[in-house]
Amino acid sequence: MENKATDPVVRMIVAISKILKNGEWVAAGTLSPIPVAGCILAKHTHAPDITSIFFGDPADRMGDGLFELFGLVQKGKIDVFFLSGAQIDQQGNINLICIGDYMKPKVRLPGGAASNMLYAMSRRTILFTTTHTRNLFVQKADFVNATAFDGAVKTPWRRGGLSHVVTPLGIMRFDTQINKIVLDSVFPGISVDTAVENTGFDLGIGKRTIPTIEPVREEELRILKEVVAKEMRPIYPLFTEKLWG
Amino acid sequence: MKIRPDLKTMKDPYSGHEYVVIPPIIPDVAIIHATKGDRFGGVTTFSMRNDLLLARAAKKTIAVIEELLEPDEVLPARNEVYIAPVHVDAVVLAPRGAHPTGCPGKYDVDGAHIKAYMAAAKDDKSFRQYLDTYIYGPKDHNDYLKKVGLGDYGK
Repeated sequence: MENKATDPVVRMIVAISKILKNGEWVAAGTLSPIPVAGCILAKHTHAPDITSIFFGDPADRMGDGLFELFGLVQKGKIDVFFLSGAQIDQQGNINLICIGDYMKPKVRLPGGAASNMLYAMSRRTILFTTTHTRNLFVQKADFVNATAFDGAVKTPWRRGGLSHVVTPLGIMRFDTQINKIVLDSVFPGISVDTAVENTGFDLGIGKRTIPTIEPVREEELRILKEVVAKEMRPIYPLFTEKLWG
Repeated sequence: MKIRPDLKTMKDPYSGHEYVVIPPIIPDVAIIHATKGDRFGGVTTFSMRNDLLLARAAKKTIAVIEELLEPDEVLPARNEVYIAPVHVDAVVLAPRGAHPTGCPGKYDVDGAHIKAYMAAAKDDKSFRQYLDTYIYGPKDHNDYLKKVGLGDYGK
């Protein structure tokens, strides 16, 4: 019934909700409407006991800005955090600094905004992006500002790393055996070939059969429109209006 | 360290780990936007921002306030924090002073104005025009508010 007609953003929201587990402490920074919607949906479906902190939500009465949210992460209170990147590479490195050479960048990006600490000190991190292209998913990022695991660079206070990557094409996950991002599943109507063609690194499919994610259910669409949209509106008014009117 | 050779490392005497140590940023001046304030410098600001941290870190802090009240009336509302007069060097009364951005709890972002600004910022000529109209043109803050359609706040 839904399939191709479903907005990829809605698919991503539902996919993120399913990755979240009941009881987890979930936090999201600014500019993260898709994770925030996913988290609210999870709370209204399978995970009512999630504790959520959405930075910028007037309902969360934080006392001291980002300083306080970052402190929670450093203390080990946050199980799940969300990040994104202008580039994400095979090893889960993210780049929010520049495209091209650092000294002569083609594009200067806004900056890391504590993402290295957040990536290392949250128990697990879900990456999300609304574009799935070879320009974004690259073999090696032009600049690495946050790492998914302790490889060449050691982070003494690391307690977590990359868990999943959610895109309009499907879900990828981080394989901790090989420390690489691999394809997990694709959305209905998206072929594995499409995912492969749009990713700049080997997705580690091998002989595996990649499952197709089950279509978004009518019930989920109803909860999104009736409940999630209402809670989203004060935090992300423009996003909410665009998606649900 | 490759791109920031000025940064130094040191050993944490407790854990023994080697860390890059970043010097503190001490701004010469911080300008913060506050919802309420008194003539002595006590102000309240939106708690999601880091205004308290900024005011404490900067050598001089200027607080732009929406409303001037007596000290006992400057109380933090829901989602606000109080910044004591010792951290604030100057208070500027400018209602709607955050325009075209918003002031949480008071007024929203003026989306139409931001869009017009973005369009104007695309080339030098239109940006010059924007500056002449909204920055150099108005004779004072009140005149600016009238120009952007926010009415007359009086003196």
